Amino acid sequence: MSNANHPVSLVSGIVVLGLLAILILGAPFLAPYDPVKQNVTERLEKPSMEHPLGTDRFGRDVLSRTLHGGQTTLISSVVALCAALIIGLFVGLTAGMFHGSIIDIILMRLIDVLLSFPFMVLAMVIAALFGTSLSHLLLAVVAVWWVSFARLTRSVVLHAKNETSFAAARVLGATNGAIIFKELLPKAISPVLILATFELGSLILSIAALSFLGLGSQPPAPEWGSMLADGRDHFMQAPHILIGPALFIFLTVLAFNLIGEGLRDRLDPYEKTEL
Amino acid sequence: MYRMLLRKLLEAFVTLFCATLIIFALIRLAPGDPVQLLLGHPGEAALSDKQAFNDRAAGLRAQLGLDQSMIKQYTAWIHNLVQLDLGTSIHTGRAVSAEIVARLPATAMLSAAALLIQAVLGLFFGTVSALKAGKSYDNAIRLACVALASTPAFVIGLFLLSLFAVTLGAYEISSEAGLSRLWLPALTLGLIGAPQLIRMVRANMLSEFGRIYVLSALSRGLSRERVVKHALRNALLPVITMIALSLTSLISGAVVIESIFSWPGIGKYALDSILLKDYPVIQGYALVMVSLVILIHLCVDVVYALIDPRIHRKREAGAEEHV
Repeated sequence: MSNANHPVSLVSGIVVLGLLAILILGAPFLAPYDPVKQNVTERLEKPSMEHPLGTDRFGRDVLSRTLHGGQTTLISSVVALCAALIIGLFVGLTAGMFHGSIIDIILMRLIDVLLSFPFMVLAMVIAALFGTSLSHLLLAVVAVWWVSFARLTRSVVLHAKNETSFAAARVLGATNGAIIFKELLPKAISPVLILATFELGSLILSIAALSFLGLGSQPPAPEWGSMLADGRDHFMQAPHILIGPALFIFLTVLAFNLIGEGLRDRLDPYEKTEL
Repeated sequence: MYRMLLRKLLEAFVTLFCATLIIFALIRLAPGDPVQLLLGHPGEAALSDKQAFNDRAAGLRAQLGLDQSMIKQYTAWIHNLVQLDLGTSIHTGRAVSAEIVARLPATAMLSAAALLIQAVLGLFFGTVSALKAGKSYDNAIRLACVALASTPAFVIGLFLLSLFAVTLGAYEISSEAGLSRLWLPALTLGLIGAPQLIRMVRANMLSEFGRIYVLSALSRGLSRERVVKHALRNALLPVITMIALSLTSLISGAVVIESIFSWPGIGKYALDSILLKDYPVIQGYALVMVSLVILIHLCVDVVYALIDPRIHRKREAGAEEHV
């Protein structure tokens, strides 16, 4: 796993992710049943040949709902992550470019303040005040998650500013905008994308946890979060309702973590040190 | 030295001040009128009661200070906060500070036990993993970490709960806090935080092994055990900080775990209050948690500076590395 020449974790992560993508994107063709069609005669059935993951309280097929629900969950997670990434890049580039200026100081102070909000607490405040829905949950996610990207980008920019190419661009009379987009942005992109791979996993887990607590999207949408909230209410009679979405969340996060681990192995020189 | 302490303290206060601004702004930005929320919609009252309703609403508005300007409201709020008055719960009519203080021991007990479990797991498996880097032990531990870190917290909680409470009958479910009931939620919370710590301890040990002094000690013929002991001591200081800083994520994790195990702590209280739309409680909870995090960060900074000023400066310079 730690051998850089055989990035087992990277390859296995990509394979798992690929399989998941086929299952989720192909849901309309692969799902055995209609994800929203109710069938009250088959309520809360245990897993069987007809329903591999059982049925929920309205007799809907859990497997079909899980496959269809993945689209909403994954797309919204990726959208939230991209928003956080873009805000983080923008703030990091600005703060790094004008290092030491009043803008930098204000932005860094803002980051310090946001870092003192545990994610769950901010999400709970937003859910309490604005109401529980998936979009509010995503808002909380973006509000917290951009910080790590901004910090990373800023530190990359500060390193890059010491390089000769930066001084050369300055001497040649390049404008601030040109320096930011042609010199600094390309250097920041790849570390930020690697961080994003890791962050996407923990982001999906956080969304799942909040949905489980009933602070995310509400039933009856075929979405993993609402299925979790639903499954929680019936956990004692029918634990299998939870298993479908939980298993898929586990596999998705695992895939992203394996890819992240693999990427880090290839890039981190310390990992190869042995005593 | 004292100047540095003073600066840190000042910074912490500025952060706390900004945090109160954010919380205040969020509450005022929220859609809906708190008075209407308390009294119900005027449309529900009979026509003859409209006048009485409006009077009551105006009275309540004045009582809550909502008829005053934003700045006055904010300063009044801060004025109360300084006197440790977090407001009154809409639902129970009791002081929020009293409600929170009553539930603090349960959460503190849970967090402390989880932190201990996490630290033991992190130090033990992290060290083993580093010593056996690249071998099968290391690979097994890393794989287990990735798998554990990919499992939703509530899945671990529900699995352990059904295993010990239902299948084995070794755990009794009730809504009271007690030492006999502590171990299972604490174990769950500890397991959730462990992978990150194991990974950090491992990375720290390995980077310590890469240092020149380790190589020179080995080349001078010192035994491997003695060198490891030295490296371990040097690698430990940042690890202690990480354990302290992981309290922040424990606060988040505790909400889920308290909810699953019906542990009567602050997290569960705040969660229940969301469903009841009890604004003052949420506000108080957020403020207490943010203050706690700021306090922890301040303590870590100060302890760092006291133990090793060199490390402190390094941390300042490389703060961005630990995202």
